[in-house]
Amino acid sequence: MDYDVLVVGSGIGGMESAIKLGDMGYKVLLVEKEGSVGGRVILLSKVFPTLDCASCITTPKMAATIHHPNITAMTYSEVLGIRRASDTHFRASVRQKARYVDEAACTGCQLCETACTVAVPDQFNADLVARRAAYIPFPQAVPKKAIIERVGTSPCTDTCPAGIKAHGYVSLIRSGKYEEAFQLVLDATPLVGSLGRACYAPCESECTRGELEGSIPIRRLKRFVADRHYREMDGPGVTPAEPNGKSVAIVGSGPAGLTAAWQLARSGYRVKIFEAAAEPGGFLRYALPTYRLPQEVVEQDIRNVTALGVEIATSAPVRDLGALRLDGYDAVLLATGTPHSTSLGVPGEEIEGVLGGLDFLREVRRGETADLQGKRVVIVGGGNVAMDAARTARRLGAVETVVAYRRGREEMPAHKAEVDDAEAEGVELRFLVAPVEVVGDAAGRVQGLRCQRMELGQPDASGRRRPEPVRGSEFVIPCEAVVAAIGMVPDTDSFARMVSIGPSHRVKVDPKTLQSEVPYLFAAGDVVMGPSDIARAVGQGRRAAFMIDRWLQGRELAGFSAFDERLGVVDKTQVLARQKKYTHRDPVTVNAARLSAPRDFAEIEPPMTEDEALAGAGGCIDCGVCSECGQCVAACPPAAIDLNMRERTFDVEVGAVVVSTGYKLFAADLKPDYGFGKYPNVITAMQMDRLIAPTRPFNTVLRPGDGKVPERIAYVMCTGSRDKTVGNPLCSKICCMYSTKQNQLIMGTLPLADVTVHYIDIRAAGKRYEEFYQQAKAMGANYIKGRVAKITEKEDGNLILRYEDIENGGAIVEAEYDLVVLAVGVQPNREAERLFIDEPLGLDDYYFVAEPNEDLDPGKTSIPGVFVAGAASGTKDIVDTILHAGAAVAQVAAHLEQGNTTKKVPV
Amino acid sequence: MSERRIGVFICHCGGNISDYVDVAQVRDAIKDEPDVVVAQTTIFACADATQQDMVQAIQDEQLDGLVVASCSPKLHTFTFRGVAKRAGMNPYLYTQVNIREQDSWAHTDDPVGATEKAIRLVKAGIAKTRLSSPLEPIEVETTPKTMVIGGGITGLRAAIGLADIGLGVYLIEREPELGGWVAQFGAMYPHERKGRELIQELVAEVRRRPSIVVFTKAELMAKSGSFGNYLTEVRVNSGVPDLIHLEVGSIVVATGFDAYQPEVGEYGYGIDGVLTLPEFKALIDSSEGSLTYHGRKVGTVAYIYCVGSRQPEGNAYCSRYCCAATVHASLKVAEIDPKLHQYHLYRDIRTYGKYELMYTESRERGSVYMKFPEDTPPAVARGASGQLTVTTHDTLTGGEELTIPADLVVLVTGMVPRRNDTLMSVLKLPIGSDGFFNEIHPKLRPVETVVDGVLIAGTCQGPKNSSESVASGLAAVTQSGAILKKGVAELDPLVATVNTTACTWCGKCEETCPYAAVEKTSADGREVAAINATVCKGCGGCTPVCPEGAIDLRGYTDAQIQAMIENLAEVPVV
Repeated sequence: MDYDVLVVGSGIGGMESAIKLGDMGYKVLLVEKEGSVGGRVILLSKVFPTLDCASCITTPKMAATIHHPNITAMTYSEVLGIRRASDTHFRASVRQKARYVDEAACTGCQLCETACTVAVPDQFNADLVARRAAYIPFPQAVPKKAIIERVGTSPCTDTCPAGIKAHGYVSLIRSGKYEEAFQLVLDATPLVGSLGRACYAPCESECTRGELEGSIPIRRLKRFVADRHYREMDGPGVTPAEPNGKSVAIVGSGPAGLTAAWQLARSGYRVKIFEAAAEPGGFLRYALPTYRLPQEVVEQDIRNVTALGVEIATSAPVRDLGALRLDGYDAVLLATGTPHSTSLGVPGEEIEGVLGGLDFLREVRRGETADLQGKRVVIVGGGNVAMDAARTARRLGAVETVVAYRRGREEMPAHKAEVDDAEAEGVELRFLVAPVEVVGDAAGRVQGLRCQRMELGQPDASGRRRPEPVRGSEFVIPCEAVVAAIGMVPDTDSFARMVSIGPSHRVKVDPKTLQSEVPYLFAAGDVVMGPSDIARAVGQGRRAAFMIDRWLQGRELAGFSAFDERLGVVDKTQVLARQKKYTHRDPVTVNAARLSAPRDFAEIEPPMTEDEALAGAGGCIDCGVCSECGQCVAACPPAAIDLNMRERTFDVEVGAVVVSTGYKLFAADLKPDYGFGKYPNVITAMQMDRLIAPTRPFNTVLRPGDGKVPERIAYVMCTGSRDKTVGNPLCSKICCMYSTKQNQLIMGTLPLADVTVHYIDIRAAGKRYEEFYQQAKAMGANYIKGRVAKITEKEDGNLILRYEDIENGGAIVEAEYDLVVLAVGVQPNREAERLFIDEPLGLDDYYFVAEPNEDLDPGKTSIPGVFVAGAASGTKDIVDTILHAGAAVAQVAAHLEQGNTTKKVPV
Repeated sequence: MSERRIGVFICHCGGNISDYVDVAQVRDAIKDEPDVVVAQTTIFACADATQQDMVQAIQDEQLDGLVVASCSPKLHTFTFRGVAKRAGMNPYLYTQVNIREQDSWAHTDDPVGATEKAIRLVKAGIAKTRLSSPLEPIEVETTPKTMVIGGGITGLRAAIGLADIGLGVYLIEREPELGGWVAQFGAMYPHERKGRELIQELVAEVRRRPSIVVFTKAELMAKSGSFGNYLTEVRVNSGVPDLIHLEVGSIVVATGFDAYQPEVGEYGYGIDGVLTLPEFKALIDSSEGSLTYHGRKVGTVAYIYCVGSRQPEGNAYCSRYCCAATVHASLKVAEIDPKLHQYHLYRDIRTYGKYELMYTESRERGSVYMKFPEDTPPAVARGASGQLTVTTHDTLTGGEELTIPADLVVLVTGMVPRRNDTLMSVLKLPIGSDGFFNEIHPKLRPVETVVDGVLIAGTCQGPKNSSESVASGLAAVTQSGAILKKGVAELDPLVATVNTTACTWCGKCEETCPYAAVEKTSADGREVAAINATVCKGCGGCTPVCPEGAIDLRGYTDAQIQAMIENLAEVPVV
């Protein structure tokens, strides 16, 4: 057996149970789901009726718990399930959640908190203020160790094929940390400016804010920080590692090759890129029209790479990969993309005036501009290249630009925004049209494109419905030029001697390691995948660099999962359910005017202003909580933060279980008549307790609506208790007394404030409780008999309480207050019942843990060997919890001693 | 004087201290005191992280003295002794300075004065620490047995609990029979089991356990020794009175309560038909078929709550159990005769927690509840016609005056402390303003008392119902186990010592010692005083009475006290 007793929950009942069991000599495992032991008492201001400071009486217990030689306390951990292993044993499965902080190394200095860019409601301050995603629960936390709260990967980051921490840079921008945001993107790829303009931004499609008013403008935010960096800084601002003496040759300088070069150069490799074209950049330079991606931006991005010492040889086509190896390179990466356009495969294709889509775009970027002034152009194809070609044709003066696509609009592989923009610029789209023949005139020039109509048949391998020709439907679209943008293929014939070439001329490599049959040869990007997009190519480049680095270090390429391993993506519905409502924020939109006849290649999309960037980033709702911005990692002096840490689940055998899972407070918004959540100046008593605690968030009692110090404060008793309309006919017992305590403390803090308690019965039942209540009255607290019916808000934020004034004739009265405190009641914590897997834990009618023989055996549950301590079995104040825990411990000890008669001492 | 290395930590206590005392100024004022090598302020000295800082400072700076200026030593003496111990420093080289209860809280109107006072208090603490010397706790083997005083439901359940965790038990009951109050009860809330059946079950369990020895007609007459090893004297009156001596490690006091007995004339008490709650419960328990009183069927019952409780004169406390007990009684009455009219005249109905369900059920079954104003209590009278009436004002219907003709008036009487002068003088337990035994801390240590190893459980500590009493009895079991199951106890070494060369045995110290810790012994052929360290409480009463100045108190030596006074009196340089 690993432990004599498992105690679940470390509130006052759990700590008392663990300490007393430990004192008796039993080995105890205490499991607490929060990051600190202490439960709710440590968060209170003072306790009734002694007005002892809650911190002062709780911290010694917390320290005693954690330092007790017989107690192993696991915080930020959960008991997943408990099964019976034998008559005397249970087997419990325990999950130690990842703190992402090395507890041994963390010094509790809180620099991570200061650095963190994500703010979330602080549950330890009853949501009155925010805390950071990197946090220490509260000042007296035991252990005082930081936690990075991560509930999963945010959808934007999760979906990014380039592996860019989208949530991270949005979060940094929101915090005004623009250069840090740039550096975070730069950590993945040097192509910050290019991606900021030309990426199709799958992050934005996944953005949870998109379910509300519209996505965060994630891509444009990236452009914002790139523009800023290139304007203000010289060079990337990155220092590469010391040269490691190894070198890598990269063939191709597109997004994959540049990214791989960047990553390898940063790690200390000597890298040389061989580019067949006259200028580096691949598709960035030659395929993307400058109205989407200005050449200057591509050059800025490429300078990031060359700044690290990467050499780029241009006009240097490589045919023999083996020769590079012989030249002394330790590894070779093939990243030559898909430079060839697929031909139409119809008669007449050789006629002058017929161009491949890529060739057309490439010529335009080289400045070899075809004169389309006044001409009619037909573009064949429905992909992004087709759209680029069509829009380029419009800019070259084409009077008619027709896109002929053999399927329908829905089936178009081009991104919707591209299609929309093309149409806005006067491009005509014709669907279900396929070319049959290029018709030439006598002079051998294009005269038209003969087409036939298509109809959609059964779905093909791609899942799209296959277009089939309609017989006798041929017609001619008159035109002077035809651009065939129906596909692109790699140029890999010359490599076939070394590596296997797959379908569509693609190089075959291991999809995970990107290594070919020749160990030193890796391949990445479109030469492997076929035509994709920049972000995917970047992702491949990163992966290739990582794998090449690993391989050159002589480490295994299989059997690990560390590259770009992400936590599971968070569930958007759960994210949206975190808040009852979200403040409406108008999406930050682009105010670019689309000309129906664009005349030049100037960049269309305007840059974001700083205000727009802050407003755009400010809408982020932090789906995964931690944004992975990395600021805490950089700030931590002992380097204790490790975002690759993962949770750990293990089994323990125990002899007995104490359930001390406590209670939940009534969620006050379930009583809509009282307006909690709607009226900012209606707060819960737990919030008031925080407002008057020694570690209070503000230095006084103020109302949340406008920060005003309240002069008239009302308490509404029995909120969520003694109330069948909310399903709880029970009395919560503690509320009368904690309210009385708060009344006294408020009168001490705000001597001029009036405090009025609206009650049904004041239940001051307990030692010195009645005297305490009388003391509050003597201090000047007003008590009004009668349940409050309804609360409404005035324009100035004051609140009107409507009630029957029973003691003064029973008239309906409305009274005005500055601040209303709802004395919320106690609810069962339903987590208790989920602990037990094979034997159900008996509950009472109100879902508290039942004690079948409560009169003589308090603390015993329906399961032999399982005990309950404290408010898990029903509402209890602190002293009743201590007594109940004491009783439970006596029961546990008796249970454990049953099989241990030798220990009994006869009289 | 040899050089010392003292660390001083001054606490903000959130704002409890720093709102009134300029903590940084205090630090600046003492940081250059001789021997002070560490002077720091901290938000919460007691927080675990600060404790770790202290451990670090003690080790890094090789401290041999620690001063913590925060709150009362009652709260954190053991906390910071633990810090010293973990750091490898002798715990008795640490001094607690109270700048909260004795300073910031007392002088909220004078921050400047409070700061000056704090500086002096801390300097005095430093002076005391400078003269401190390492001490070792006195370790004694403990007796694994517990005496339970009182054989009511609390004592019975505690005895069984103690036996079941492996401790020997002596159960002492003054009456000839075990069972106490509950043995007289019929159906009880919330479980509806009969009190006498519960007691029968417990007594049978007690009899089954050989490690429980029961003495009835027995009383504790004397107690000596100390925690872990008490020597007791019990008088057993079985035929011939017999004095027996029992050795125990701890004592659980479960002596119960008395019912409040109204004065004649109090709410008509003394008039025929006016009963107390216990009298009425006995009537219900003996009734079958219908509720009759003096052979007459009862048609109407009026209950008057809070009789003898919540009174501005007399008992100020709420008796906690009576509301639920009365509401439960009304349900029993409704079971016996559903047509019977019941009127409850109350101030607040305190059916806390799930007892609220009984209150709801009682109303649903026809009981009428009327709240009377505190300043106008109901009046009970028997009129000329012989009709018993209760006159009251019903706040809930506009304060109208109502006169209720009733066959029975039940005065809902609560619990009062049971008088037991012998036991009080033997145990020397403190009594609260309500007359019940006082616990050491009402929130966190409800069964412990200022006398180590003497525990209080059940209603002798304050009003409780039966299941709450049982829970507190078991909590006392746990506390006994926590202190006795280790087999050894550590006692504070802060005890008196005698300089035998100076002592002339005048006997003054023996006369003044309240704990009989001084014995006469001989040294070098002379009669001198000796201190029994396990009995001495370190109260210091003997030191000033010694004409030869031969007695000193460890941890509070004359030299230390004098040094403290000098520093307290010093005019501070602020």
